[in-house]
Amino acid sequence: MVVSGQDALLAQMRRGTLQYCVLALLAREERYGFDLVRALAETDGMVTSEGTIYPLLSRLRRDGLVESTWQESTAGPPRRYYRLTDAGWAALEGFRLEWGRFRDAVDHFVERTERR
Amino acid sequence: MSTTADRHVDQYVKRLDAELADLPRARRRELVQEISEHIAEARADLETQSEAEIRTLLDRLGDPADIAHEARERFGVRPRKPRALEIAALVMLLVGGIVLPIVGWLVGVVLLWISDAWSTRDKLLGTFVLPGGLLAPLGLGLVSVDAENCSQVIQPATGVVTEVCTGGTSTSLQILWLVLVVALILAPIATTVYLARRMRRRYQPSDASA
Repeated sequence: MVVSGQDALLAQMRRGTLQYCVLALLAREERYGFDLVRALAETDGMVTSEGTIYPLLSRLRRDGLVESTWQESTAGPPRRYYRLTDAGWAALEGFRLEWGRFRDAVDHFVERTERR
Repeated sequence: MSTTADRHVDQYVKRLDAELADLPRARRRELVQEISEHIAEARADLETQSEAEIRTLLDRLGDPADIAHEARERFGVRPRKPRALEIAALVMLLVGGIVLPIVGWLVGVVLLWISDAWSTRDKLLGTFVLPGGLLAPLGLGLVSVDAENCSQVIQPATGVVTEVCTGGTSTSLQILWLVLVVALILAPIATTVYLARRMRRRYQPSDASA
């Protein structure tokens, strides 16, 4: 049974880690907004609503972790392509380390639960 | 392209724009534009533009209220508590003119325009509806509108006392007068309530959760 506090916790965890998932996706290749949103939404459990990605992208741009360029597109109007900045790389690497440690620690406890 | 689909999309975008009202203008415009472009791209992918597909698309995008909530979180827009400045502005606008004729109301106007809690449009509304606040109807209410106004006049030359009655106002004019006074009372009160509800959230970019 899921308690409402748990929902809030999950939401918080998602919000905290989502930006790093975005940074990680951009680390592999530059993408445009729509593409990014769809890639994230395909993975279960990450985003509840696609629209909420856009405020995040805006924030990442403002914080200098990503930068965007407009590129002509054959499919219609020019698209805004996002790319990782050096600061973004650094943030992603930092997170990777922390996350690995954190995940292992939580797994260590949570994995072996059996009721006595 | 189906017009029902267009209508759904328009409604959605309008709602989004409304929900983002308390964000800085640039951010708001940016978000609306990006999401509009997202919708356009998603629609281009669709086989048909049926209402069902459009609604699914918009559902996936999410409720505008949720997007706005996320935007507020990301940009650190916090609900504002009305400061003394705003409360003083509203009070002075409404009754300042009574306490300190005209000057009191002017103080209210100055405070209104100093504050950053309202848009220019709201400030203009607060200034011109109505000037003087409740002073205007109060002043007018004191002007008695009688049915008749009689006074005694002594002719200096003959010493004869005559009664002169100035024609009074007709009943319909009296009613009109009453309606006017009531309207003049309600308008400033309505404006004050409107302004109180329209106070904007304070924008604090530094302590946003990243």
